[in-house]
Amino acid sequence: MRDLLADLIDSARARAGYADARFVRSRVQRLSTRNGTLDQLSSSESEGIGVRVRVGGAWGFAAVRGTDRKDAEAALARALAIAEAQPAVPEETPLAPEPAAQGKWASPVARDPFEVPLEDKLAILLAADAGLRTEPGVKLTLARFSAFQTDKIFASTEGALCEQRITECGGGIAAVAVDGDSQIRSYPASHGGHVAQAGYEHFLSLELPGHAPRVASEAMELLSAPACPPGRRTLILAGEQLGLQVHESVGHAVELDRVLGREASYAGTSFVPADGIGSLRFGSDHVSVTADATNPGGLGSFRWDDEGVEGRPVPIVREGMLAGFLSSRETAAEIGLERSGGCMRAEGFERQPIVRMTNVNLEPGDAGSLEDLIADTGDGLLIETNRSWSIDNRRLHFQFEGEAAWEITGGERGRLLRNPSYAGVTPEFWGSCDAVCSAGEWELISLLDCGKGEPGQVMRVSHGTAPARFRDVEVGVA
Amino acid sequence: MNTLELAERAAAHAGTRALALVTHERSLMLRFAASRATQSTGIDDVTVEVAVPLRGNVGRASTNAVDDESLAECAARARLAAQAADAARDGSFPGFDPDYDLAPLESFDAATAELDPARGGAALADAFAEAGAHGVEAHGIWTVAEQDQAWATAQGGAAERRTDAFMKVICIAASGRSGYASQTAVAVGELSATALAERAALKASAGGDPLELPAGSYPVVFEPQAVGWLLDLLGATAFNGLAHVEGRGALVGRLGEPVAAPAINLSDSPTSARTLPRGFDSEATRKAPLPLIQDGIAHGVAHDVRSAALAGASSTGHALAPGGDPGGPLPTNLVLAGGGARDEGELCSKVERGIYVTRLWYANVVRPKETLITAVTRDGTFLIEDGKVTRPLRDLRLTDSVLGILSHTKALARDQKLTSDGEFYGRRFAYGVVCPALRADAVRFTGAAG
Repeated sequence: MRDLLADLIDSARARAGYADARFVRSRVQRLSTRNGTLDQLSSSESEGIGVRVRVGGAWGFAAVRGTDRKDAEAALARALAIAEAQPAVPEETPLAPEPAAQGKWASPVARDPFEVPLEDKLAILLAADAGLRTEPGVKLTLARFSAFQTDKIFASTEGALCEQRITECGGGIAAVAVDGDSQIRSYPASHGGHVAQAGYEHFLSLELPGHAPRVASEAMELLSAPACPPGRRTLILAGEQLGLQVHESVGHAVELDRVLGREASYAGTSFVPADGIGSLRFGSDHVSVTADATNPGGLGSFRWDDEGVEGRPVPIVREGMLAGFLSSRETAAEIGLERSGGCMRAEGFERQPIVRMTNVNLEPGDAGSLEDLIADTGDGLLIETNRSWSIDNRRLHFQFEGEAAWEITGGERGRLLRNPSYAGVTPEFWGSCDAVCSAGEWELISLLDCGKGEPGQVMRVSHGTAPARFRDVEVGVA
Repeated sequence: MNTLELAERAAAHAGTRALALVTHERSLMLRFAASRATQSTGIDDVTVEVAVPLRGNVGRASTNAVDDESLAECAARARLAAQAADAARDGSFPGFDPDYDLAPLESFDAATAELDPARGGAALADAFAEAGAHGVEAHGIWTVAEQDQAWATAQGGAAERRTDAFMKVICIAASGRSGYASQTAVAVGELSATALAERAALKASAGGDPLELPAGSYPVVFEPQAVGWLLDLLGATAFNGLAHVEGRGALVGRLGEPVAAPAINLSDSPTSARTLPRGFDSEATRKAPLPLIQDGIAHGVAHDVRSAALAGASSTGHALAPGGDPGGPLPTNLVLAGGGARDEGELCSKVERGIYVTRLWYANVVRPKETLITAVTRDGTFLIEDGKVTRPLRDLRLTDSVLGILSHTKALARDQKLTSDGEFYGRRFAYGVVCPALRADAVRFTGAAG
């Protein structure tokens, strides 16, 4: 395969100012149970080659399944024809310089999840599912396992030739209680659970069966819990909800393709200006954010991105001030950055790389543990699991709803509230952050379905956060 | 590639009760931003899915390799999955029951299947020129695709060729105001880049400073694109047969009762030439028209084989995966009947002070049982005063029940439009909603956006 890619790149040199080729083999396994029976047991495998060329500033990309040499050469010809058929681009931005990627890398795995017998995985899911069915009002129970393995080889006309294997694994559970109303509780997160760049050991570490009875009980409790009253409250966000808050209002807002208007037709633009580094106040002094493609276990981790840029930590916000962007070689050059942020990722061989998040992390603060933060908060709300999210196309006005909230009264966690929604405006919201818990509370959460691009690409990303507190937030809006 | 022959070979490896579904996608998409070509993607790929039922459970596997060895390995993975499922209780899946006779559909256009990049390049050039003439910049996509799909069991199979074409143009003025227009069709010849760019440009360059409206309830005229979004969300919350049989659906206990204004007539019409027609679903069940709301009365929900078995009903041909998608079945060819209003202008004429919405964006379900959704307006939001569109509005966040909006619907335009968002995640599955513009009273907005 390395020879085939090298030959393709040699052929491309004559007609393209730049070209790269990626071979990708993907394996996915999904198991889930539903109300004690099998919901899904599927495995998918695919492989193919994607060729990207740049001709006079216009990009062409074509993908073909398999590894046949003639098909790959046809994909190259197609990519060139597509690029050449487009209206001329007035001026070609150079790509930010990058050393040619060379070598091999694999994410650490203690136990290959694809080698574990299906029966073992199913036994855990069925045990968890049984634990969820301990409450009579729970009408739907779900337990999920998922594993992903991606092998990539990348070559470019600049001499890059590198290989990577990335393995990801995880799962989760959910219970839906129904009684006129419908309420869901999930563990360890909603929207598919928690997945890490790791092996089967991560799935085992989630201990799904042990958490199932509590999850079912809380789903039932929510049916009769009071609704979150409207008003302005102090809000503590933790876990998945804080990760999603970072994802939607920070991560997407600093994607440089959006900032430069390249995504206006779909994902949208950004309120962040391209010249905002060092001058745009994004949040309070407590807010520092880093995009780090080297976090162990993070779904945004890799050795090289999909245009051969080595992954590294990139400062995004420092003590509230904008410090950087998520970028590609082209977008970085366009605003005069010396180097790409290494954020180009593609979903499989048949999608071209676009600017995506790596692990966009809120750095820990000094507020101690979550219990310390609750104790320090007279009255407020704690939300940690997401149910619904929406944000406008400039990543400015958002509205989220959690699965549940705990009322904080007198510095103690109190009663459960249902339907806890909140809304805000990104820089004002992050400006209201007056505490972030310490490093001991910091952990990576996972988001499994970040959509972007045309044709659409789904990316798995992680966000490191420690619980944080926000003052004077509008709640109970939905 | 002969997809039927490929499906038959895959099925032959999988056993007598198995189903093989083959989808061959050839597609081309050109993106543009600020009146420049930006990205382009050509795809040629196939997905072979094999589903093996065993004791009421279904094991599934897929591959994009087409040689016999790979097909046999894929079938073996599906069988292994089905056997592993023996550890679970017996499921309720009764087995596949394909319809072997399919009526021909108007779903294919040879010119579209050529995937001609020159034709796309010319469309982009037309859009750039028209936008430039209006002093705005064009952003958007032009895309065409051919999808050959076939299924087979040990007893036989069937195949269908479909094409789809989509173009959207978002024009953005120097002021930051934007306008949107899009077109969806089976045939690329129906797309008019110039007309789309003109429509989008006129919205982007509409005069007047944007007014910010406070949160509250307002009469609204929704263009078809926005109505399509609302109905798509209704499909997921109200007409999903699996959610319905599990007690989570919005129509639980409400079938046969009024759920919308009497003028609302909604169906799934998969074989209509006005939609992107499909003759069969992912379980080889023949698709047929399905009434969902008639004269405002909830009439039915969509089923795949699994949800139908749980409900004691028959599949309505809405499976999204062989053996049933975990998310349940969905209607993908919704058609909302038109009303008596001549056009959007006539819908506005009855509004003293209200909001004109071109499209919705980033919609998400908040509480499915209430059909409560939230979304923001985008690319063409205007104030209606004394029966006329008068000035741009700053975008707003809508948070309301879709069935509530349909209950408050006072009038619908006569003409329907095939709307789509042109979102093509995974293996391309082009679909759209056929609907008219409508006017609804008391639509709830919870804040500003954009």
